[in-house]
Amino acid sequence: MNALLPAPATIAALVKIGLLVGGLMTAAAYLVLVERWMAAWVQDRKGPNRVGIPLTKIRLFGLGQPLADGLKIILKEDFTPKHVDKVLYTAAPLVILAASLAIFAAIPFGSVLPPLGIPGLPDPVPFLVAPALDVGVLWVFALSSIAVYGVLLGGWASNNKYGFLGGLRSSAQLVAYEIPLGLGLLGVVLAAGSLKLDRIINIQAETGTWFAFAQPLGFIVFLVASFAEAARLPFDLPEAEQELVGGYHTEYSGIKLLLFLVAEFLHMVTAAFLIVIMFLGGWHLWGVTGSSQEVTWIGALVRFGVLSAKILGVILFFMLVRWSWPRFRFDQLMNLAWKVMLPLGLVNLVTVAAVEEFRPQLVAALGGSTAGWVAVLIPWGVFFLGWIAAGLLTPSGTDNTPILTRGPLDSEHELRDLVVADPIGDRGGRTLVEA
Amino acid sequence: MSLAAAFPPPGLLLAGAVAAAAASLWLMLPGNALGGDRRVRWIGAALGIAALAGLALSGRRLGGLGEEGVFLVVSGVAVVSAAATIVSRSPVYAAIWFALALAGVAGVLLVLGAQFLGVATIVVYAGAILVMFLFVLMLAQPAGLAPYDRVSNEPLLSTLAGAVLLGLLTVSIGRLSGEPPACCQVPSRTAAVAGGTTDAAPAAADPGDPFATDHVARLGAELFGRHLLAVEAAGVLLLVALVGSIAMVSRGASVEDASADGRAPA
Repeated sequence: MNALLPAPATIAALVKIGLLVGGLMTAAAYLVLVERWMAAWVQDRKGPNRVGIPLTKIRLFGLGQPLADGLKIILKEDFTPKHVDKVLYTAAPLVILAASLAIFAAIPFGSVLPPLGIPGLPDPVPFLVAPALDVGVLWVFALSSIAVYGVLLGGWASNNKYGFLGGLRSSAQLVAYEIPLGLGLLGVVLAAGSLKLDRIINIQAETGTWFAFAQPLGFIVFLVASFAEAARLPFDLPEAEQELVGGYHTEYSGIKLLLFLVAEFLHMVTAAFLIVIMFLGGWHLWGVTGSSQEVTWIGALVRFGVLSAKILGVILFFMLVRWSWPRFRFDQLMNLAWKVMLPLGLVNLVTVAAVEEFRPQLVAALGGSTAGWVAVLIPWGVFFLGWIAAGLLTPSGTDNTPILTRGPLDSEHELRDLVVADPIGDRGGRTLVEA
Repeated sequence: MSLAAAFPPPGLLLAGAVAAAAASLWLMLPGNALGGDRRVRWIGAALGIAALAGLALSGRRLGGLGEEGVFLVVSGVAVVSAAATIVSRSPVYAAIWFALALAGVAGVLLVLGAQFLGVATIVVYAGAILVMFLFVLMLAQPAGLAPYDRVSNEPLLSTLAGAVLLGLLTVSIGRLSGEPPACCQVPSRTAAVAGGTTDAAPAAADPGDPFATDHVARLGAELFGRHLLAVEAAGVLLLVALVGSIAMVSRGASVEDASADGRAPA
């Protein structure tokens, strides 16, 4: 009878989805403004500060800028070049935006609301769209790997060399950095014993030890990998303006370009959410928010505020980094992923596993608080050892000497490699060696 | 129970749907005897829609309206995209359709409560393997289609084999999945259906429901308890494959070096 009426839990989920999507879109628009202010501050200029309320002289520090930007880009001509593959060209921005929004189904954006007393709703109402999803971390991981399709298809369907190169670079980069990202996640999942992001926050709140302190190596690996996954500087090779015009969205304009740009921004916001939730304690702050699941309205708001402030802090860090480091070269990028971050991530995982395995024995031998300190200090020791090893071995160092200044034998060898690598140009190559 | 009694397995409908599915696939496959006329493909698509409707009608009901609707949508996406994967002529489009089919399968698994399997399908297949496929396809074919992409080998035989397999599997699984014997009934599921919480979401609301919580813990306990040997064997196999591929790559390089030394004039 009432099967046709949506259940209260369905309505609650829809309300949360509406709040989240609206909030994220607005936040993305205003974060663009913040990013421009940050750029202006770093470069010692004023930045956007004029647009206020239209038809008046009120400037409001430029707070009208996102609205004006959005209107401008929406009203621009949505030009589709003749040479593109129309279906995939249109699908690519939709895929990337849908994937980056769907990620937030599993991401808690606060703690819990106090009981509302509506029948059919769970009793403290969680700030989470899909509270029954037991595999939240994996869900985030899966959908962030779907985002590659948007980039790859956009680059390919554009039928443009720059776009194609950007798409290829991006897919190679994203696939490579998924591995350290996953290793960083695994350390936290192992220590928390759950794949649910809200449970991971609760455990950090209960123990009072954020995972950034308990697993410094995993934190650094995850931080670097999430910069790369969000394609932010110094990892923005997919759309390196100086080399590729715009990378995979070179041929896009108007609202489709806007979708790409918003999706990119959402990747950064997702990365900030994950860093805060998994490593920086989520809504937990010592002395301000407790760890209990029974909260008042004020407590719920304070937790929401703490989480938002932390996320804003991480986003500001992302923006500051953008203006502080130059871009990597592609071989350096790959070396960093495979030769530095992958081993460090494995070391972190082994350390965490060992500490968690022997924690009961530690507690039995040393007592609770001493054991807690030891369990934090061991990973820090491993952290410093790991970075010293990475620095001493310098596997990411590359030989930048020009080929001409190397020995004659070296250059001959290189020409031979050319012959082998290029069977069609075989004759030309051989004459080159003979000459 | 009453729903299952109201819809007995209608053998005739099932047979007709399977035959229509086979005919539609054959009509749409590239390289069949009819020569890829556009109108023929449209007829094939219409037959395919009819076949899907027949299969959906001859199947058993799942329970609630919401669950049933979501299941039909995601499984329809999976089946249609799987068919489109084999009938599309561009390899890049085939790969994209395959990705959509995987998304549909993941959706079916999520609806049925196998969360880990559903998400793992996306992570492993769509997120890693298929991206590699796309990468290679896009690199390998910058200029148009190769001739071997425009034909399919033995379209008639393969559609017939597929239809027979589909019919046999549907019938045998349909026979198996009558009322489960008393030993293996899952109490909470039947209780939830009987209690009228038929929407997919309310199961989420009940933390006591074993279908809603700790899927991963239960799966892990099962894998590392009863199936420990198989998991370890699979892990060793993967390690061997990894070492083997690295060994092949490094040996290939040294062989190339040697041949280059032999070929190059002194």
